[in-house]
Amino acid sequence: MRNVIVPQIKSSSLVGQLKSLYETLKDAKPNEDLNFDLNQLSFACPLLILPLCSYLNTTKSEFVISKDSKIKSYLDVINFPKGITSVSSFHQKIQKDKNYIPISVLTREGVVGRERLESLFATMVYKAIDVSGIEGVSNAIYYPIGELITNIFEHSKENQGFIFGQFYPKKEWLDICIVDRGRGLAAAYQQEKNLNLSDGDAIAEVMKGNSTKPDKERGYGVRTSKRVVCEALGGEFTIISGSSALVVSKDKEKLVSLPNFHWQGVIIAYKIPKPKHPIDIFPYLE
Amino acid sequence: MYKLTLINAMKKEPKTVIEVAKVLAPIVGSRDVVDLLKAPIIKSDSRIVVLDFSYVEFISRSAAHELLLIKEELHQKDKELSFENVNKDITEMLRVVAANRALPKTEKPQFKAEKTDINSLREELPV
Repeated sequence: MRNVIVPQIKSSSLVGQLKSLYETLKDAKPNEDLNFDLNQLSFACPLLILPLCSYLNTTKSEFVISKDSKIKSYLDVINFPKGITSVSSFHQKIQKDKNYIPISVLTREGVVGRERLESLFATMVYKAIDVSGIEGVSNAIYYPIGELITNIFEHSKENQGFIFGQFYPKKEWLDICIVDRGRGLAAAYQQEKNLNLSDGDAIAEVMKGNSTKPDKERGYGVRTSKRVVCEALGGEFTIISGSSALVVSKDKEKLVSLPNFHWQGVIIAYKIPKPKHPIDIFPYLE
Repeated sequence: MYKLTLINAMKKEPKTVIEVAKVLAPIVGSRDVVDLLKAPIIKSDSRIVVLDFSYVEFISRSAAHELLLIKEELHQKDKELSFENVNKDITEMLRVVAANRALPKTEKPQFKAEKTDINSLREELPV
């Protein structure tokens, strides 16, 4: 099994996190079993940790981390890499470690259990940012989580999805990441609409609202979530599939090629500042 | 989980009431989870089915869309689906989706991202 040293994260910005993920997984063959060495990391962030968690859960890959590592206790607290799969386990975890939201693994089977776990996750994220009383903030937190998780079970053909969030009280930033290891965007368009698109073009189709579903009213979930994150909340947003990523910050959008990198499935991550004012998401839902 | 009550004293017509928070969750995010409501709604002997949204804090746009599709399907079968104890955010979500169904936007969203590669991206904000 090939050893991969996960490099130190140079910046906690979304681009910085994306670059760390890229450096970690570039040159990996599809579903290659890897041994991740996490000892160089002095801090962890969702866009790096959650894809690694899903990779470890869906391949025979392994990881090593020394007891003296700066992030060992953090990874234990968030239940890396297995994650939490039930509401009861989630409750137990957050009673023990009140300041951290554990990684949650959502499964297609047992729909109600999944919905309750997703609901609990979203509620915990909202509580973590501690803005109760500011009108509309809960809607802005809940909306992208709901729409983006829906997409996993509507489009990926995969039976599980992963979600993780971390609020940084001193920086007043919230990071959320949502990951699947399904067929990916280009394969979805190929299989559902017989369109042969590059990974970058498939991301573009998603952002134009062209759904793989025949219903004309579908295809708004990712685009409107991006608008809520970037326009309503003033945050940054990225979507990664295959060998491409879209990175968005307010009105700037960059379609980024990721040479020698291929993510099987879809990764979505966003970063938002702690809201200080009332937010109305509805104008962004189109 | 589902209770049959006589709550429409005026019409004396039985209604089936389904408590959404108990059947699903306080936040209804996923489209496919709404499908779980469909079977008891369709099977109900009552002509009127009430979805009680007490303790439901939020529904996603996808969930709202699915609920409205069920409502329309029921209407075609001469049955009525009504939403009760709905908070203002859920009301607004249902209104936005219903408005979009009634008058879909014809304008296609623009997508004009600048193309680049990962090595050209600066790590600092903004992008």
